[in-house]
Amino acid sequence: MRFVDEFRDAELGRALAGEILAMVEPGRHYKVMEVCGGHTHSIYKYGVDDLLPANVELVHGPGCPVCVIPMGRVDDGIAVAREPGVIFTCFGDMMRVPGSAGTLLEAKAEGADVRMVYSPLDALRIAKANPEREVVFFAIGFETTAPSTALTLRRARAEGVRNFSCMCSHVTIVPPLRALLDSPDLRLDGFIGPGHVSTVVGARPFEFIPRGYGKPVVIAGFEPLDILQAIHMILLQLGQGRCEVENQYKRVVPWEGNARALEVMAEVFELRPHFEWRGLGFISQSGLKLSEAYADYDAERRFSVPGVRVADPKACQCGEVLKGVIKPWECKVFGTACTPERPIGTCMVSSEGACAAYYNFGRFAREREVV
Amino acid sequence: MSCGSEHCITCGDDGVPMRVLHLDDARGLALCEDGGGERHTVETELVAPVAPGDEVLVHAGVALVAL
Repeated sequence: MRFVDEFRDAELGRALAGEILAMVEPGRHYKVMEVCGGHTHSIYKYGVDDLLPANVELVHGPGCPVCVIPMGRVDDGIAVAREPGVIFTCFGDMMRVPGSAGTLLEAKAEGADVRMVYSPLDALRIAKANPEREVVFFAIGFETTAPSTALTLRRARAEGVRNFSCMCSHVTIVPPLRALLDSPDLRLDGFIGPGHVSTVVGARPFEFIPRGYGKPVVIAGFEPLDILQAIHMILLQLGQGRCEVENQYKRVVPWEGNARALEVMAEVFELRPHFEWRGLGFISQSGLKLSEAYADYDAERRFSVPGVRVADPKACQCGEVLKGVIKPWECKVFGTACTPERPIGTCMVSSEGACAAYYNFGRFAREREVV
Repeated sequence: MSCGSEHCITCGDDGVPMRVLHLDDARGLALCEDGGGERHTVETELVAPVAPGDEVLVHAGVALVAL
């Protein structure tokens, strides 16, 4: 397939790995954070880190939208799903995220009408097919996914669909990055920027990282050669004493992003003063809610939502994993009490979660021997 | 359980290149086909105008970029 096969070429990968090896300064330890969960997934699926020198360490960032949803928010979703007459729709991975008393999948088993959808448009279709029921869409995701929710809400209003509402848990990428950069226990040399989020927001929002914190950012695609090339570009910037935002994923990401997507988001959403992130706590202006113009479609106004804050499970160290302070296998419950079949923390739920990526691709066995 | 593919839909990773087959201009939707031959209804408003034969990158039912 175009744009795929040529970015998985093993020979080119080895050549690039050789160049990276020649670039690193012996004795210096490089820590590079891949922001997006999709990058984490690709890194372990293709064994990208095995091609890197021992002193180049990849740190997994907070960019998996499922992994950052706190337990209280899941409980709120389950409470709405249990309301009589409600059809509760969400993306598949969200159904397995544990709340304080079970998952949406378990609520479904107990009789709640919870349905998996592939897009918010599917949820709207369910609403149109069931006019006597209230259909709620649990909207999660970064700026990549938020335009899809925004367009669907605009369509619902244009088509006069009144039995559709949205429980908005969309988040934005810049505030958690700023929180991480301000965190005293984290030392990073550079960032692999999120590829598809940038198709919407563009490259400009990341300029605060080189300007304010002196770290290079390279926006990258998701194939193994994309990631290797991004690491190469970061190391080149570090070696030459440069520090800027570069775009490795030019074949997809325009520097300015998608202005129309940003417009529709600005019309439908507004920033919440605070939003709670699993493991990272409350971050100012990091979450989206529906704007006043779309208040009629806000499930949090239409239904009674408990809104209770629930502390993360004590055994779970997702917070440290999300901050890149510990590796997944260093968590006390990794692969024992916490597995993809029975996750305790959300990093083990989604295939993009760092813990699930390690677990599924067999990293834990070798790494544990090292530990 | 994942969302049907090996990736979770909500992750930015889930950008699927698709080819536009047919346009429904009145509703702002397009019938698109992915690399595996599966067909999907896609919102094309954010990348309009597109024409049959064009390639777009689709995330959660919305074309985000014309390739």
